[in-house]
Amino acid sequence: MHGIIEADGLTRTFGDVTAVDHVTLTIPQGELFGLLGPNGSGKTTMNKLMTGQIRPTEGTVRVMDLDVAEDPLGVRRKVGIIPEQETPPSFLTAEEYLHFVGKIRGLTDMEERANSWFNILEFRDKKEVLCKDLSRGTRQKLMVAQAFLHEPPLAFIDEPLINLDPVMQRTVKDFLQEYVFKGGTVFFSTHILGIAEEICTSFAILSEGSILHHGTIDELRMDNRKLEGFFLERVRGTAHA
Amino acid sequence: MRELFVAMLKEEWRIHSTMTGNLGFALFPIMIAGFTFMAAWILPVLPGIVPIDTLAFIVHALFALMGVMVGSFGIMGREFMNRRFGQASLIAYSSRSLPVSERRIFSVFIAKDVVFYLFLWVIPAVLGIAAAAPFIGLSPGLPPLLLLTFTLSFLEGLAIVFFLSTIYAHSPRIAGALIAGAALAIGGASLVGIGPAVLLPPYAFLLAPSALPLLASLVLIAVPGACSIVWATVDYPDATRRFPNALTGLVRRFRFFSNPWFVAKDALDLIRSEGGIAKLVFSFLMPLALIWVFLSVLFRFIPGISPLIVFAILLGVISSTTYNWLTEFESFSSYAFLPVDVRTVLMSKLQSYVVINIVSLAVLLAIAFGTGEAGLVVPAVLVFVSVSAYTLAVTVRLTGLYPSTMLYNARVFFTYIAAIAPVLLILIFSSIGHPWVAAAGVLLLPVAWILISRASLRWTVWEMPSY
Repeated sequence: MHGIIEADGLTRTFGDVTAVDHVTLTIPQGELFGLLGPNGSGKTTMNKLMTGQIRPTEGTVRVMDLDVAEDPLGVRRKVGIIPEQETPPSFLTAEEYLHFVGKIRGLTDMEERANSWFNILEFRDKKEVLCKDLSRGTRQKLMVAQAFLHEPPLAFIDEPLINLDPVMQRTVKDFLQEYVFKGGTVFFSTHILGIAEEICTSFAILSEGSILHHGTIDELRMDNRKLEGFFLERVRGTAHA
Repeated sequence: MRELFVAMLKEEWRIHSTMTGNLGFALFPIMIAGFTFMAAWILPVLPGIVPIDTLAFIVHALFALMGVMVGSFGIMGREFMNRRFGQASLIAYSSRSLPVSERRIFSVFIAKDVVFYLFLWVIPAVLGIAAAAPFIGLSPGLPPLLLLTFTLSFLEGLAIVFFLSTIYAHSPRIAGALIAGAALAIGGASLVGIGPAVLLPPYAFLLAPSALPLLASLVLIAVPGACSIVWATVDYPDATRRFPNALTGLVRRFRFFSNPWFVAKDALDLIRSEGGIAKLVFSFLMPLALIWVFLSVLFRFIPGISPLIVFAILLGVISSTTYNWLTEFESFSSYAFLPVDVRTVLMSKLQSYVVINIVSLAVLLAIAFGTGEAGLVVPAVLVFVSVSAYTLAVTVRLTGLYPSTMLYNARVFFTYIAAIAPVLLILIFSSIGHPWVAAAGVLLLPVAWILISRASLRWTVWEMPSY
């Protein structure tokens, strides 16, 4: 199967610690894929490997037909990324930051694009506020906006809803589902199983750097199973093994 | 109180050692002692060239300046740390979550800075001189006296900057008025012939130990120090600052650079961060003015040397420290998820550096034309540009985006000094009698280019392992 993301034997070690251990994974276009795992399971490392922020110790990963290790900038040019920690530059305003990212990405009509995101995520009143003075939730909105500013066909997002209030969580979830409906693909890392069950089409469970299961939410539903129970069974089963 | 003090000391150690490693940082004071030990060996020959009083004043002024720098870092540390390590939570800003008053935390913070930096800089410097004392015929009583006067100078700088920052937190206008008033008083004092000993009582105490300069030193430390504790307000990031979009206009203004949006961002960082454009005046232009005064006085005693050429050489080195301003709020993690590589970020810093250096160049030209040395303006400009580029290249090669922390690694600092000091000495000594010889400094430009090219590769590997 040809996928928009294809990982083959992907491994990353940090000294004696193996953060990602021979992961082989294919994600087709049009999926809202959830990478689920407990804290420290290797989700963020997987995200960084797939977006060329770190290089694998072993194995390969291709994203949108590009070898990530060979062309990390090419990958980051094409995809959108929301990192685990929101770090927009302190002394730019929200509006300036979006313009800054737009310049880096070579976008035009930035005024329109930025305003559209201020409206979608309802933070127009904060556009002139310095990033360092924004609340965590607003910073998170800003990071969502910067990731989708160039309308990428694929987005890697790491816990994007964690600082958002329930109303804004709904807005972002709706946006992601519509984005996938229109042909986009999302690689979504989270440990919040309720959100994953609600919006993801397929998922993988990562524990101690290894994939324990890869399947679809529909398969679970057909088996009348809840994601939480399935996840705990798999992860605890590994931990006890 | 004791627990808080110890916790802050540990925190300060870890701030530095996170970047430089424990051993690298632990060796730093030993290296300072080594430098002053070696430097002390030239003391016996100096009185024939330069009055020892003048040298003593310069060294005391340097320790006072160090106090100012340490105090400034303490005040703007949180912004710096947040950029460097994510949302940093320093103990100094924790009075909302701990049952300890802001005043108490601030008092302990000052005490911590005093102890930490005395052990890091002042005591090792004096120990180096003390170790050399028996070999160069220095009086055994001099090192303890230097320890006292260096410490007092350092504390004077520290107390004054804490005082001014406390006033600034209440009213920037009053702080500005105080600084302007002090500058006028100092200018007026020098016009009516009041010597530097009055401005720096620890230096006066060294020249003639007596109760009056000692008392004056203590008052200059205790009064501003106490006022800053009594009036302390810790700045929490509650105030929301708003600005209309200035980035787009600045990008247009810097369009001749390859990365104008980075240069524009650096300009906004500089203008909007704590201290703002005043940093340029107080941390850069004022020390430059002092150095020019020192050089003019010093070179009255050395025939054949051009103060303008030596100033241009030193200006090149001092200008390279503005790279700290460009990087203090920077971390590559802010760009790692964008299509940007380390080389682009470093190169954009160099472009921003060129913009800041226009100020240095203006200072050099103003001094050259204002002091009747316009005839030497060409070699002065050439040597300034070359030294500035070379010193910056060494800094970038050794410290990447982290000069303000990496230079505290003993090995890095030693390499930095070893790469720069001989070049400066060669340029200065070769220009004696022949100021135009300094123009040969342009030979440093290709070296600078090679160093910067290699720096890109090195820091790409460091920031993004294996790339």
